[in-house]
Amino acid sequence: MAQIEFHGVTKRFDSGQEALVNVDVSFAEGSMAFLTGHSGAGKSTFLKLLLCLDQPSRGQILVNGVNVTRMNGRRLAHYRQHLGAVFQDHHLLGHRSVFDNVSLPLRITGMKEKDIARRVRAALSRVGLLEKERLYPRYLSTGEQQRVGIARAVVNRPKILLADEPTGNLDPELSRDIMKLFEQFNQVGTTVIVASHDRDLIESMGLRIIELDQGAVIRDGVNTRLDPPVREDADG
Amino acid sequence: MAEATEQHAGTRRRSGDPWPPVRTGVGAWWRDHLRIARETVHFVSARLGTSLLVWLLVGIALALPAGLYLIERNLSGMTAAWEGRPGLTAYFELGANEQQIRAVVDVLEKDRAVADVSVTSPDQALAEFRRYTDLADALDLLESNPLPASLKATLAPGVETAVLDPLLDRVGSLPGVAEVVLEKTWLERVSDISSVVSRLGVILGLLFGTGALLVTATSVRLAIEARLEELKVLKLIGATERQMRRPFLYFGAFYGLGGGLLAAMLISLCLLIVEAPLSNLLGSYDQELHLAGFDAVFLGGLLTIGALLGVLGALVAARQRINDLEIL
Repeated sequence: MAQIEFHGVTKRFDSGQEALVNVDVSFAEGSMAFLTGHSGAGKSTFLKLLLCLDQPSRGQILVNGVNVTRMNGRRLAHYRQHLGAVFQDHHLLGHRSVFDNVSLPLRITGMKEKDIARRVRAALSRVGLLEKERLYPRYLSTGEQQRVGIARAVVNRPKILLADEPTGNLDPELSRDIMKLFEQFNQVGTTVIVASHDRDLIESMGLRIIELDQGAVIRDGVNTRLDPPVREDADG
Repeated sequence: MAEATEQHAGTRRRSGDPWPPVRTGVGAWWRDHLRIARETVHFVSARLGTSLLVWLLVGIALALPAGLYLIERNLSGMTAAWEGRPGLTAYFELGANEQQIRAVVDVLEKDRAVADVSVTSPDQALAEFRRYTDLADALDLLESNPLPASLKATLAPGVETAVLDPLLDRVGSLPGVAEVVLEKTWLERVSDISSVVSRLGVILGLLFGTGALLVTATSVRLAIEARLEELKVLKLIGATERQMRRPFLYFGAFYGLGGGLLAAMLISLCLLIVEAPLSNLLGSYDQELHLAGFDAVFLGGLLTIGALLGVLGALVAARQRINDLEIL
């Protein structure tokens, strides 16, 4: 059974522009996939809809069999507690230390301080920033800031990890390191969906790639560089 | 996946709800409140200049109606403590005889506005004068009693002194009467002033209460704008709207409490300043200064009202801004 299902999802903005057009894709639990396409192809909209930051104009998005597009209030907040999200510009809080930034998802659950410390340090250790927990984000490099963002996204051990252009500001070597991190999280059972326009990088990973063009899925499969643009059943 | 209870990522999943809240045991709610209280103290102390200004504004807004309440309460207490009802005193001429005095008493006793009449003879007046002054030796030097007879009429309950003018005129025109004085009119004026102050207090309370609320709402709105990025992140990671509002409600309560405290200090300062001249003024009317109302209940009420107004202002500011928050 698929964990995430897009059924005929269309997103049309007030201006009339369609960001997604009749998208039908699904993701199995514990799978990893890349969303790619040119700027404006609909990658970010796809993730936004999954995070319920926006609503589709038509269609359904099921996560664990629940239509998340109809959720609101506390239920929506609880749904988001089970997701991890990473963005190109990190969304780190400048007035909080690395430790405090990473601990935020745990603090809103009211977790005890000693458990928070244990979990945050484990997450920072996974991204290789344990020794920088007391620093503020402005003292970190762009790559390190991105890794803090990833640590914050995974500290709550989410079932689904979403990343929107997480390597957008990074050089190729750092980008590969970040992708390896996502792969590691995927290997422990987290479903990972990464939106990226860096085709060389994602094709080198040898994983499922969904290509969007003007809001429509034009390719869905593994090693799409070699394959013609065909759709296939998606299960990761 | 949700058929049975499953432990994952610190989450207890129950059948039928694939996205239960991430709970972390008993006391999570209290820990969240404690954390927010700590952060609020930190936020307020880190912006002490701004916080002081807000406290001052809220404090002044609260001090005015609260001060008027105190004034009204003391004026009411002063008039309530006054024993007896308004009355009139007639002073006779030195040569007034028994018949003339009797005639005045008759006129007053027949009038429905008068409840009681008591006459003080010249001898009784002299005895009282000796008792209340140190001039007894000087009086011994006089050949005759210089004090006239007088009478005091107490008015019936509910009689307005304004309708007594005809009676005053009539008594004043009787033979042997030197002067007729309507007594204690100043206390009646105080009572009128007290009513005015009371109503003014209600009006100013509403106006300045609204002012305090708006000051807090504006300050909280600024605090929200300063923490907008944090709110976006909190929304993204699954904070409920109640959790996102909570810090700002604490801000409101802090601003309100601080304002209430400052209002109490301002009132206290004002009382210190006016205590001496007020005491002198009351002394001239044989009244002692007993400032009532500035007690623990008043202070508690002031702080509670301040905190409630602060929370209300914060709720107004936070509700709308957080509801409209666009994350990305």
